[in-house]
Amino acid sequence: MSREKDAANYAIVFFAVLSVLLLLFPASKAAHTARIAASYSLYPSLHLGARYGYFVRNVPSNFLALLETDQENRALKNKVKEQEVKLLSASALVSENERLAKEMRLSRTLPWAGSWARVVSKTPADWYGSFFINKGTDDGIAVNDTVLGMEDDRAGLAGRVFEAYPKFSKVLLITNSAASAVCAIAPAGLEALVEGKGSWLLKVNYVPEESALTEGAEITTAPGGLLFPAGVPVGRVAKVYSRESFMNFITADVTPAVNVNTLKEVFVVKRNLPQEAAAAAGAGWGEAAQYGEQAAANRR
Amino acid sequence: MTFIFEVLLYLASGSFYWWWTQNLAFFGLAPNFIFAAALSAAILAGPVKAVAWGFFLGLYADMLGVSVLGGYALTYSVMAYAVYVVKRHFDMDSFFSQLVAALSLSWLSMLFYQCLGLVFLGLRPAGIKIFLAEPFLNALAVPVVFQVFYRLKRRLDIL
Repeated sequence: MSREKDAANYAIVFFAVLSVLLLLFPASKAAHTARIAASYSLYPSLHLGARYGYFVRNVPSNFLALLETDQENRALKNKVKEQEVKLLSASALVSENERLAKEMRLSRTLPWAGSWARVVSKTPADWYGSFFINKGTDDGIAVNDTVLGMEDDRAGLAGRVFEAYPKFSKVLLITNSAASAVCAIAPAGLEALVEGKGSWLLKVNYVPEESALTEGAEITTAPGGLLFPAGVPVGRVAKVYSRESFMNFITADVTPAVNVNTLKEVFVVKRNLPQEAAAAAGAGWGEAAQYGEQAAANRR
Repeated sequence: MTFIFEVLLYLASGSFYWWWTQNLAFFGLAPNFIFAAALSAAILAGPVKAVAWGFFLGLYADMLGVSVLGGYALTYSVMAYAVYVVKRHFDMDSFFSQLVAALSLSWLSMLFYQCLGLVFLGLRPAGIKIFLAEPFLNALAVPVVFQVFYRLKRRLDIL
């Protein structure tokens, strides 16, 4: 402790004497040398600082500018995100608009009167069976009205109105395993029965074994059917099955004219069926009963 | 190596004071970071090094001013010695004691420097604004500078 005290005393005496000498002899050679030596300590600030003063001087303003830029950047990032969302929404709207415009153009060429409806609900458990549309009896929709879908600039049979409520309706799809329609097979116009299979394919039944049913043949609704207007495309023959030994007619798989999975809007054709006819046809799920009876009679 | 760090710290202290006075002086007032550095070094370093730091920082302050060379050098050397004496009796590491020391030593240093000016150059009184305001600014600056020096001392084994 004593040595430290002594050192401190020596140090203060030494530096105090040095300072006093500098004070006493400011113009002496030693003071001048000390001044020059001490001036080197000013180099970092006065020489380099002045040289690069622009960078050093503007630090506060640059810092503020940096903060402002950061805030601006955050705001712009948010704006970009909003714009991206809007862009996505806009592209969806554009494609919807194109689709609707196409459908509207197409609907003008249709020979049937009706109204457009939007598909509002589909049940995964009944994917090929039915869906709901956003039009009901308030809009003039009635049970058994024909429901058309649009695909590849063509209208095709999608199903029929199965239940109609004031604000919405349930559509029985042609792919439903309980649905059926009397149809005509091009080119001869041979009548047969198209039935749903509960899958993406249809089945055409009751085709006489001697008929020349070929793959790719177009199938439309037949004039003989009660529920559907004649001439609505139903699908194309995909695969013809050979006659089974105990049957006297052949069957074939049919690719539907419209993919019921991709329908967003449908065109509901107003049928204005006579009450009795509608009741007769609508008593079952489709035209199978009527056609089955007729086919059985023919066979007899 | 520690000597180089100490030289760098010395130059950085002076440069920082210069930069502050150039850019952040408010109504011509700025904390005297050279004083703050001298006081912090005096608190942290041993007596010889503390007095040496006071002397050289004072020399730097002298070089910045137009007054005689050696005035601040003597003032800060004496201040460092006084701190050495005082810190044997008081805990100078605490915030409050640094605040009080900065306030009182600022005024004492100014008065001492004024006396030196009176003796060696005739009467050159400092502005009343600086005399009244600067000690308070120094009192705010000293704890901050002390923390910086303290961390540097622990990390680089300087002072």
